[in-house]
Order: sequence, then structure tokens, then C-alpha cells
Amino acid sequence: MKESPSFDHRPDPELGAALRAALEPGTDDAAFVRRVMAQYDNALDRSSVATLDVLASWFRPGMVAAAAALVLGFLFGRTILPAAGGTESIDAAMAPIEGPGLAALVTAQDPPDPSVVFTSLVEPY
Amino acid sequence: MGGEGGDDTALVTQTLSGDRDAFGVLVERYAGQARRVARAVLGDPDDADDAAQDGFLSALVKLGQYDARRPFGPWLMRIVANAATDRRRRRSVRRVEPLDAALVGGGPRPDAAAIRNELGDHLRAALAELPERRRTAVVLFDVEGYSHAEIAGILGIPEGTVRSEVFHARRRLRTLLADWKEPMQ
Repeated sequence: MKESPSFDHRPDPELGAALRAALEPGTDDAAFVRRVMAQYDNALDRSSVATLDVLASWFRPGMVAAAAALVLGFLFGRTILPAAGGTESIDAAMAPIEGPGLAALVTAQDPPDPSVVFTSLVEPY
Repeated sequence: MGGEGGDDTALVTQTLSGDRDAFGVLVERYAGQARRVARAVLGDPDDADDAAQDGFLSALVKLGQYDARRPFGPWLMRIVANAATDRRRRRSVRRVEPLDAALVGGGPRPDAAAIRNELGDHLRAALAELPERRRTAVVLFDVEGYSHAEIAGILGIPEGTVRSEVFHARRRLRTLLADWKEPMQ
């Protein structure tokens, strides 16, 4: 082991061995491996529980958001669309060929009879 | 150096498919290296083991990002070195006293085993005086056998800087080692 005047491309075995001995951990590697693997097992357990927890925690806000979107959509349809599209009657909306069809159905002021709507869907003209 | 080429790649693939034992083999293979590198950064052996463990678990999480065309060892050592550096930063926030005050030899030694360890104490103390990047570079080069190019990848610095860091670290450590040996001869 002698002082090199320039950069040496090869490892210094003597210095390397001395440093290795100085940095050697106090406990054996087997104990460390067991410790890491225990953490590995814990992490797997936590991740499977966490997935369910995340899904559960999002269920209630998700339902609220869906309900809010439904109400907003309903309000939007009640307030914005009639102003833009006029106020055709439900009879006009139900007319199969003549008349404004679906747009009229959506913008009608009087709500349609569900049986009429259902019949119009299942019975082709 | 712990890299076993294609064998490592196969173990990584098996680990990704949920093979616990394959991950265990990787941990076993690189445990010593990871613990030494972490200790080079942190000094304290317990902190180093915590950091090495963080490194292995972090590597497990990032395993999908590992490029199998490259050697596994440098990739893992980069994660371990980063984990150790993070821990060192957090520790320096927590306490202000010098890093390795407790590790420097000093004082009378009661038994022969302690006397044998005195060189280790001096080397650890000398390492602690070096900048973190410098001591990590020299450990990766002289202890773990990584090339300058690999160390550049691990530390995220240019290869020329690695050469310079290793050179300066060696100069300091070799002087200490020579001083230690002279009275013995």
C-alpha cells in the first residue's frame, strides 16, 4: 500500500480489508435478513388491509358525489335546457317522426308518464 | 462486489411475481454490502442497519422500475445510499452534536479485544471526518469493488469526480493506516 501520485484504477486490497473490518456490522447478516423479511411480511399484510380500507373510505364520499351529480344534472336540465330549447309538450315529445323528439322530451315542462316512455322504448313503431 | 449478473435478474423476476424466497436470497446476497455502505454514510451501526433495511424495502417497492439489462448491485446500492443519506439528514435535524463523537476511539482500553479494534475505531473516525460522498466513494471502490463508472451511477456524479473523491479519501486513509503500522513494525 503506497501513496499513488495519480488516480489508481485498481482497488487497494489492504486498505479495502482494513475498511471492511472497520465497517463490519456488530451482528451477523442472518439476523439482519430475518429482520428485513419480517418487514416484508408486515408490508404485505398492511398492503392487503390498506386496499380494503381505501375502498371502504371512498365508498361513502363516492355515493355522496354520485347523488350530488344526479341532483346537479336534474337542476341543470330544469333550468338551463328549457330556456334554450323552448317548452314543447310531452305529447309532442312522444310523437315518433314529426316533432322534436328526444330534445322535446328532455325539455318538456310536464314530466312524462313512465308507462308511456317505457312503451315507446319497447314497442317499435 | 455482490453482483451475480443474470442470476440477480432471475431473482428479481421471481420477486416481482410474488416469490418471497427469491427476495430473501437477494437480501441475503447484498446484506453485508448494503450494511457497510450505509455505515460508511451514517457511522452508527444501528442507524446503518435501519437505513439498509429501508433501502431493501424501498428497492422492493421500486423493483418494477429496475432495468434488467443493467447490473442489480449498483441499482440497489444507489437506493441504499440514498436511504442512508435521508436518514442522516433527518438525524442531523434531530440532534446537533458531531456525527461520530461516540465512535472515535479515545480513552483507555480495558482488554485485548478492544485494542485489536482500535485500528477500526481510528479508521471509522477518519472516515467520519471525510465528506459523505468521499467516504461512500472509497468504500464502494476499495471495499465493495465497484468500478468508477458504477459508483458514478450510484452517487449520481460524474466519473471524474468519483476518481477525485476516491483519490483524496485514499490519501487520508492510507496516511492513517501507515502511521498505525509503523509503531507495530
